[in-house]
This record gives sequence, structure tokens and C-alpha cells, in this order.
Amino acid sequence: MRDMTTDQSGDKLDRLFAEYREACPDPEAGAGFMPGLWQRIDARRASNVVMLRRIAQVCVGATLALTLLMGAVLIPRFERAPVYSTTYVDTIAADHPNTYVDILTGDIK
Amino acid sequence: MLVDFELIERARSGDDAAFNQVVQAYRKRILGTIARLIGRPEDVEDVGQEVFLRLYYSLDQLRTSEVFEPWLYRLTVNAAYDYLRRQRRRQESRMSDLSEQAVMLADAAESGKKRDEEQRRTKIRELVDSLLGKVSEEDRILLTLKEVEGLSLKELEKIYRVNENALKVRLFRARQRVLKAYEAHKEKPDDQEV
Repeated sequence: MRDMTTDQSGDKLDRLFAEYREACPDPEAGAGFMPGLWQRIDARRASNVVMLRRIAQVCVGATLALTLLMGAVLIPRFERAPVYSTTYVDTIAADHPNTYVDILTGDIK
Repeated sequence: MLVDFELIERARSGDDAAFNQVVQAYRKRILGTIARLIGRPEDVEDVGQEVFLRLYYSLDQLRTSEVFEPWLYRLTVNAAYDYLRRQRRRQESRMSDLSEQAVMLADAAESGKKRDEEQRRTKIRELVDSLLGKVSEEDRILLTLKEVEGLSLKELEKIYRVNENALKVRLFRARQRVLKAYEAHKEKPDDQEV
């Protein structure tokens, strides 16, 4: 009995859906539909360009800040601990003390 | 297919005139589907524009023109789903809007016969909307596509990208819930049968 009632309700529901389909026909788009759509497309395109520009600005700013920071941190460190504390000539002279004296006195053999 | 593959290919490659033609070919059908999915005539164009906007920016992701229609339906379903989710928060105001709309529609009808017919249609719309309101937004959309739009399980499979059995189960459950709500509605003594 219950199944029969459910079946009947199911049929009625099917009819109701069909009537709903008829009660909601496909509407015609208004005159402003296409211009409105293109306006939204252009607005999205413009917002994408603005966003890309903003990302580019942020990237440039971050790169600049990083460069300055690296400069501020690394340059004083290099200045404090130079790699070569003596000149090239001093180093060679230290390795060859006799030759150095000979060169200075003009007594090269 | 309402347009040929070549037109879709042209639209895909960035031809705006071709895109315009695609929109013009499909807009009536899509607006009709949206109207039945969301049940709010005043917002149909807005959601429709959202669908075609998404289409414009996602056409390059379309693998082949053959799957264009399921793709468009998927965009429609997603836009309708987003709309319904937003609307859920404003459901109370929606009910008052609907009755206001019904009054306006009834007032706008010129002759008595026309008014009666419009009232009957409005009643059906309100009843089906309230019945579909008893299930989740996802099930509402799925049920509408199957029962009202008349899409086949094969077509739904392409749109949802899930297998037929899973769809059948979901449809059965959703239909049972709506059926239960319909039976409860009929049992109410103060409600008139539509």
C-alpha cells in the first residue's frame, strides 16, 4: 500500500517537474546582455593587468631591498677581512728574499 | 551542437567575433537552464554573464571542441552552485522576495485568464523551488539537470566526471528526499494541490 502511494507520488512529482519546465521557459536575453558581458570581460582583463603590474612592482621592490640588504651586510664584512693583506710584490719578495736584494742592488746574476 | 567545431576552435584561438557567435547561439539555452537551476528570474542574466565570462577565460583549457557542451554545462553548474551558496545566507529575505515577485507578476497580468495562468505557474515555481530547497545545492542542481532539463546519465557523467552508478545513487537519494518533502506538502491541510 505504502509502495503504491510512493509510486503515485513519484508520478505526480514527474508531472510536477514537467510542469515546472513549462512554467520556466527559456528567457530571452535583454539588450544589455552582450555589452554587459564584454564589460565584465574587459574589467577582468584590466584587473589581471593591474594585478600583474602590482606583482611586478612587488618583485622589483623586493629585489631592490634584497640587494641593499646584501650590500649593507656583506660590504662591511669584506672590508673588515680583506682576502689579500699584502701586495703581490711583497708576497714574491717574501718568498725570494735573496733575489729581491739582488734586484734592488742591481746585482742579478 | 548548436555551432560547428570550427567556430569553437576560432573562439579558442582568441577570435572575439567567433566567441560572440558562440554566446549568441547558446545564451538562450543557458539562461533557461540557469533560470530553472536558481529559481530567481531577476538574477538569471547576471549568472549567465558569469558563465560566459568563465567560458571566455577558460576556453584555452578545453581539450577538444567535441567536449564543448559538457564543458559549458559544467561552467553553468558551477556558477549556479556558487550563486545558490551565496543565496543560502539570504534565504529568509528570498522567501519574502518571492511572494513579492508573485504579487508583481499577478498584478502585471492583463486579463483574468492570463492572471490565473500566471498564478498557477508561479505556484508551481514556488512549490518546486521549495521542494528543491529541501536538498543540498549539489543535489538540487543534479536533480534539476536530470528531471527538468532532461539530460541523460551519459551527459551527466561527462559534466560531473563521475561514473554512472555513483550518479544513480546520488540521484536516487536526492529524489527520495524531494519525494518525502512532496508527500509532507500534500499532507498539509491548508495547502492546495497544484
